[in-house]
Amino acid sequence: MLNFTKRLLQVAGTLLLPLSIQPVMANTLEVCKTCSYTSVKQAVQQAAPGDTVLVTGGTYQESGIEIKKPVHLLAQNKAVIDGNFTGQIITVMADDVTIEGFTLKNIATSYTRDDAAIRVLQRSNIRILNNTILNTYFGIYLQNSEDCVIKGNVVKGERGDKTESALANAIHLYYTDNVDISDNVVQGHRDGIYLEVVKNSKVHRNTSQDNQRYGLHFMFSNGNTYTYNIFRNNGAGVAVMYTDDVRMEHNTFENNWGAASYGLLLKDIRNSVIHNNTFRRNTTGIHMESSSRLDIKNNDFERNGWAIKLMTTCVDDTFRLNNFTGNSFDISTNGTSQQNHFENNYWEKYTGYDLDKDGIGDVPYLPVSLYSMLVERVPPAVMFMRSFMVDLMDNMEKVLPSIIPDQLVDNQPVMKRIDHGNDRKLAQVLRKTEGAPGRER
Amino acid sequence: MKSKSIHTLSLLAMLFLFAACSVEPQAIPYGQANCTHCNMTISDNRYGAELVNDKGKAFFFDAAECLAAYVSEQPELQENASFVLVTDYTNPGNLIEVKNAHFLQSPKLPSPMGMNLTALADDLTAKQMEQKHGGTLLTWDQVLTAVQNDAKFH
Repeated sequence: MLNFTKRLLQVAGTLLLPLSIQPVMANTLEVCKTCSYTSVKQAVQQAAPGDTVLVTGGTYQESGIEIKKPVHLLAQNKAVIDGNFTGQIITVMADDVTIEGFTLKNIATSYTRDDAAIRVLQRSNIRILNNTILNTYFGIYLQNSEDCVIKGNVVKGERGDKTESALANAIHLYYTDNVDISDNVVQGHRDGIYLEVVKNSKVHRNTSQDNQRYGLHFMFSNGNTYTYNIFRNNGAGVAVMYTDDVRMEHNTFENNWGAASYGLLLKDIRNSVIHNNTFRRNTTGIHMESSSRLDIKNNDFERNGWAIKLMTTCVDDTFRLNNFTGNSFDISTNGTSQQNHFENNYWEKYTGYDLDKDGIGDVPYLPVSLYSMLVERVPPAVMFMRSFMVDLMDNMEKVLPSIIPDQLVDNQPVMKRIDHGNDRKLAQVLRKTEGAPGRER
Repeated sequence: MKSKSIHTLSLLAMLFLFAACSVEPQAIPYGQANCTHCNMTISDNRYGAELVNDKGKAFFFDAAECLAAYVSEQPELQENASFVLVTDYTNPGNLIEVKNAHFLQSPKLPSPMGMNLTALADDLTAKQMEQKHGGTLLTWDQVLTAVQNDAKFH
């Protein structure tokens, strides 16, 4: 009976829904060279709440368009608004506004005004969809707003030989909550996506590349999720700073290469999850500082200079079921005290044996080499890499650890590369060995 | 062969030593250096800060609040420093001593590390900016106290 009532309510709901969102007498104001409206600004001013302003192609030299009513601004046939370096193009000053399909371009660097192609000020329910934004200072700038969607946009800056200060962020959120940022391509800006004091937001399936500083940058932003993004060729991939409760899953961090470069920089973060990511060819895969209670699982670290730089200020972090292959250094640290946990990772450099053939190495693996400690203290020592003396030193230290932190150890290294999608067999083995007593040294 | 490499090495070492001899402020390498305190790439040339110690080694910071946090943790660094410098907001690239700087803390002017601190060289400009943007003017010592008391940034 209860089920039936529920079903009935559902049916009633679906019937009523289109009625409730249908605006009363919504008009469409058409803008083109031969229409009654020949400027976007003019049409926006004339529009009543709920109207659609439809721009059917052409290029418009306009800036300072202020949207003060809930309208749908829609472009067809790749209509262009060229700001011509005369200031901000669109400022949203009303709730429930949609801006869709435009090409917006040319905004000059302005140190005092922070001009953007689309700026939202203290508003909610704004949708910015499928726009192309070229050669601007800020691309999309949301400030003190909530419940917004930024989807399918392309934001490209002209990085050229400009200094970093002459560029601003492609997508910039400041004190803004509940935002869905997905399927965007951002490149050639300072930060691809910048979040400062942002809560409960999602960053999915974006590509952030060739930005001068970070692909994605969190500051004081708790409770956010980012998944399935690609961060490529940025000054550094992602920086997560002074932040709690972040979920980072299924992202690719690659080619973040340079003296001060990272795939992922973690500074003062807590209670977060890093699962199923790929770190490929970065100078440092993850640099971790003052970060605690992180769960780092099922990631692939391939061909990085350093897979992980783990500073001694990090505590209670767990590293499980990760693959470490082709890295010059697997783990490097700056001191001997270690309060983190390593278990069941695959280390390509592991040279131990597995006599009982359970897939788990019989001798523990110490992922920090003496040489990596030396390089951490004396960076120029890196020029002795792969020399005979270094190998000799490392092997002696492995037998009789005196300088490397012997608490930083994987007691159960996995013998074969872990297939993250299909590790049921491994899970069985691990369950079995967990029951077995006394694997500790 | 061996003596040759030792020769080159000692030459290199001497080069490093000589390079470290002059004690003077250095230009902040924007976009290349990482902040000594927070490790963020230093990028906004209106906000960079710098500490040069008595041996002439320069530490770079992305914002005045990072410099303040760093010297709050290690007060002896500031006592022994040859220069403690911040950027004049109105004249990017121009470094000024923190003791002579006026700091405007205004929510209208967000700084890189979220404490809204803007350093200004000129007294009159500082007062004008305060009237225009609102907020409060602080001295360096007040900035240090503010950073120590800030909950989200430490």
